[in-house]
Amino acid sequence: MIDSYLIERMFNNEPFLDEMATDQGKISSHWERLAKYYEQLGSEKMGQFHEEVGRQLRENGVTYNVYGDPNGMNRPWILDPVPMVFGGEEWEGIEKGLVQRTNLLNLVLSDLYGAQTLIKEGLIPFELVYNHKGFLRQAHNIKLDGDQQLIQYSSDLARGPDGKMWVLHDRTDAPSGAGYTFENRAAMTRVFPDLIRENHVRKITSYYQTFKNTLGNLTTNNKENPRIVLLSPGPTNETFFEHAYISSFMGFTLAFGEDLTVSDGYVWLKTIKGLEKVDVLIRRVDDVFCDPLEFKSDSHLGVVGLMEAVRQKKVLVINPLGSRVLENPGLMAFLPKLSRHLLGEDLIIPSVATWWCGQPRELSYVFEHMESLVIRNIYRGTNHKSVFGGSLSKAELEALKKEIRRSPYLYVGQEMVDFSTTPSWINNKLEARNAVFRSYVVADTENKDYKVMPGGLSRSSPEKGAFLVSNQTGGISKDTWVLGKAKDAVSVAMKPLSIQPLVRNVLPSRTGERLFWLGRYLERSAYTVRLMRMTLLSYNEADEDIHIQENPVLNTLLQTLTSMTGTFPGFSDKSILKNPEPELIALVRDADKSGSLAYSVQCFLANAFAVRDRLSLDTWRILDSISEELGRMRMSVTTVQQAYQSLDSMIVKLMAFYGLNIDNMTREPTWHLLNIGRFIESAVNNCTILKGMLSKSFDTESNKELMEDTLRCNESLVTYRYRYRSNLEMHGVLSLLMLHEDNPRALIFQLLEIDHHLRTLPNQGEGELFGGERKKLLEAITKIRLCDIDRLSEPNAKTKAYQELTAFLDEIVELLHDTSDVVYEKYFSHTGSNYRTMQTSVIPEI
Amino acid sequence: MRYQVVHVTNYLYEVPATLCHNLMFQVPQDLPFQKVEEYLCEISPKPSFEVQRIDFFGNKYLYFSVARSHKKLTVTSKSTLELSKPAWDSADPSETMPWEQVVEWLHSTEASSEIRQFYLESNHVQLIDGIAEYARQSFTPDRPIMEAMLDLNGRIFKDFAFTPGFTDISTPLEKVFEHKKGVCQDFAHFSLACLRSLGLAARYVSGYIETFPPPGKPKLVGSDASHAWIAVYVPGLDWVEFDATNNLLVSDNHLRVAVGRDFADVTPLKGIVYAGKEQEMKVSVDVQALEEEEEE
Repeated sequence: MIDSYLIERMFNNEPFLDEMATDQGKISSHWERLAKYYEQLGSEKMGQFHEEVGRQLRENGVTYNVYGDPNGMNRPWILDPVPMVFGGEEWEGIEKGLVQRTNLLNLVLSDLYGAQTLIKEGLIPFELVYNHKGFLRQAHNIKLDGDQQLIQYSSDLARGPDGKMWVLHDRTDAPSGAGYTFENRAAMTRVFPDLIRENHVRKITSYYQTFKNTLGNLTTNNKENPRIVLLSPGPTNETFFEHAYISSFMGFTLAFGEDLTVSDGYVWLKTIKGLEKVDVLIRRVDDVFCDPLEFKSDSHLGVVGLMEAVRQKKVLVINPLGSRVLENPGLMAFLPKLSRHLLGEDLIIPSVATWWCGQPRELSYVFEHMESLVIRNIYRGTNHKSVFGGSLSKAELEALKKEIRRSPYLYVGQEMVDFSTTPSWINNKLEARNAVFRSYVVADTENKDYKVMPGGLSRSSPEKGAFLVSNQTGGISKDTWVLGKAKDAVSVAMKPLSIQPLVRNVLPSRTGERLFWLGRYLERSAYTVRLMRMTLLSYNEADEDIHIQENPVLNTLLQTLTSMTGTFPGFSDKSILKNPEPELIALVRDADKSGSLAYSVQCFLANAFAVRDRLSLDTWRILDSISEELGRMRMSVTTVQQAYQSLDSMIVKLMAFYGLNIDNMTREPTWHLLNIGRFIESAVNNCTILKGMLSKSFDTESNKELMEDTLRCNESLVTYRYRYRSNLEMHGVLSLLMLHEDNPRALIFQLLEIDHHLRTLPNQGEGELFGGERKKLLEAITKIRLCDIDRLSEPNAKTKAYQELTAFLDEIVELLHDTSDVVYEKYFSHTGSNYRTMQTSVIPEI
Repeated sequence: MRYQVVHVTNYLYEVPATLCHNLMFQVPQDLPFQKVEEYLCEISPKPSFEVQRIDFFGNKYLYFSVARSHKKLTVTSKSTLELSKPAWDSADPSETMPWEQVVEWLHSTEASSEIRQFYLESNHVQLIDGIAEYARQSFTPDRPIMEAMLDLNGRIFKDFAFTPGFTDISTPLEKVFEHKKGVCQDFAHFSLACLRSLGLAARYVSGYIETFPPPGKPKLVGSDASHAWIAVYVPGLDWVEFDATNNLLVSDNHLRVAVGRDFADVTPLKGIVYAGKEQEMKVSVDVQALEEEEEE
């Protein structure tokens, strides 16, 4: 395995250096152990380990969302089982270089938002800063306490042909990827424990310890017990997995813009208990999206008034708003001089060679060498893609030149770096792939220093010789190993985590709302499966040539199905009834059809994804398999027979989800809201089925069959037989499904469960007056307990219909809806975040 | 001249607004030729939080939020100002520096960032195709900057039709240029684009002009609401103001409130409101010249 890699290396004459081997095929010393290990392991075993790594990540639910790809939601994260490796000695240099660069950028940042001496002295061109959209005038003169303004810093590095590491990009706004680094390491540790131990791979956990200490150190409000919130753009963001992961790992509260509000100059988290003050906001939302009042007015990802709260020093935002001005490739051209000026040192790690077009000489250089340069806008944004000059046609080159001539200061030309290759496990063998390494640096404010994570996130290109590496375009991630012991191996002591228990109890209203819906969609899916199963059975048993309208049982089942799923007209339409198969199949697999099983399961999964920080790891494994099942259902169900089979496996998995949560969810509001949703949904569906199936009377045989199906739908047929040991009778069926407090399928049981869970919610304490939701519920419970089952099980003599029963069930459903509305109003209403902008115009009226 | 300005903004909601956050740029500037004798601001309902600040461009602004349910928000700014003729009023335009020299100076580090920032593009002032060519018809080689600017001002006034309703805040400059129609803010943005396309520093000025002109003088356009014009940096004279909507070199009947790169920096009142369905906005501006007792 290694030999073929080396031979390839020696004879292929690649322009790139290789991380493991020299051009002469000699293995670098820090790779020796690894190479030997792979050699002994052999391809077959390595292939198994590769699969194991993938399985670990998948089961941990590690995903990455790809924008603009309809199937891109939650693409699994891909990890190469072969790491990127740095020897201890080389790492020391890299570490020093990164600390130096962070210090330098920090000084630049402080100056740009303060005195601007660097601009006045001509060390940084004025246009480079004032034209950069990351230079936020609103943030001028706003400082964190202390000298460190840049708290988190990341850069992408690669090894150039001269063997040195080069910085390709600086990331200073809201650097991502550190969470994935941890998941990568966790998966690698599980699969290659010996290899990691024997190679003395350095641990990366100190990064978050330092980060947490720094946050505690920086907060001015509530220093002992700061409430730290991670502001995420939401579940559709590409790195949402990481936001949830970091939040649960660090004990931060995961929140979206709509969960927060500014009032009295403070930032507040809307929780189901009411408003809770926020002390620190770690933002993963880009700068100008953070406050629609002061920045991008159409942003719905931010917190209105946040910037003013920052000015008031009532909240700490990390990284500070405005830090993005450093994500500016034009700045790279000036860093060597700035380093000498500000630090009195040469830059240890050079940046990739950069020519800023705002200067005449550099502009003409870029124009002359355009075909060998990458042209970038100084501001990284979706509208500003970097282009490789060599890939442009003559006309495109001219058009680009025209653009540059118009605003030269917005562009840089950068050298195309041939980054080094590293062994990668591709197509079941080791192949050389170009790789980029992302480093993570965090301020250690206690020691007025910066700490570098000994490791990071490396990414390699799936294609040979490709130089653009990004997860958005399908890169492969690699764990990054720094070998050897740290010189200062003293680990940073975690401060006592007194904040944790407090933080855990906070449930943002929006998360609560999602949990409520999670419960509802879970039950909706389960009831749909059960009723669908009965319907399909009856459909298969029916004679081919019979008119459905003349088959009271099948007809009733179909009508009930339509009304329970709310998919009118459905089977109430005679033409659909004539040929019911397409509708039945659509009700199973068509995820675009609101009310179908696929739709409900999809909503269930979407809600689960949004609250993933609240669910356990094993739960994720089940969700993963539900998601797979749904995929199969949507792809392959084309006949009634296939539909039936897929129902069986779906219900088992849905129930496994619930069962697992019974087992491992703490009895907090999280659990109670899930159950309130679940039992409200069950009770409503229970009523709908009773009403749909039993409201009419037919011939004795049909009536019996309908009662039997109703019991089956509620999985209560066995109980019935056991209890009554008699023929099916309306009286018995209704008693069992409505009144038996020990039957989990009985309406009364479900209502009592709602009441039980409601009681545990905040603002429901003992001795307090009953809230509106419990009054409504109590009314329903009492009605059921007092109902006259004899009258309800007696059909109207004339119409043969169970009118009393229908009316009674309607009343109960009405009360359930009222309960649900009040719960909504009380606990989730302040999630309402519909806002709009208004502004005066200066258009005069004459 | 002494003036009293009353600027009232009303928001009406059909469904009550539960919360709003606002930024208000309505405090007049204190300048050597514009003294603010009095400024009063009334907000109803009373804000739950308010703070006055100074922005990046030196403007005073007010941030306030109203955190209770309301169907109507009224903001009233009242000010009394004493205006005198600015220095540029008596300058001889033909004696000002040739415009190319101004450009050269602006692009050196000798000029401060406070001035230089106004030759850069901004959101509403984009250097669109053809705009530099339009400007160069007035800015001919070696022409004194003020003379050239007066010429440009006159051309814009002649070429563009003042047409309320044709544009709104989001209308791109291309469309204004193409149809040569718009209101004062379009005239101002277009003037700025012309000047910045040449490398000159020019900024947006928001303010008011007199509502009822003195007898015998015509009523100026843009007098019933906030007005907008521009200021060009002329070394030796500082920021010199021009009003293309009225083809004027601004003197002592324009009342200045705020300056910025364009409208977006100095919107008189902007905010974000929660809930609050079906809103209606009404703005009224009343500018009165006061009797000048001393002179009588």
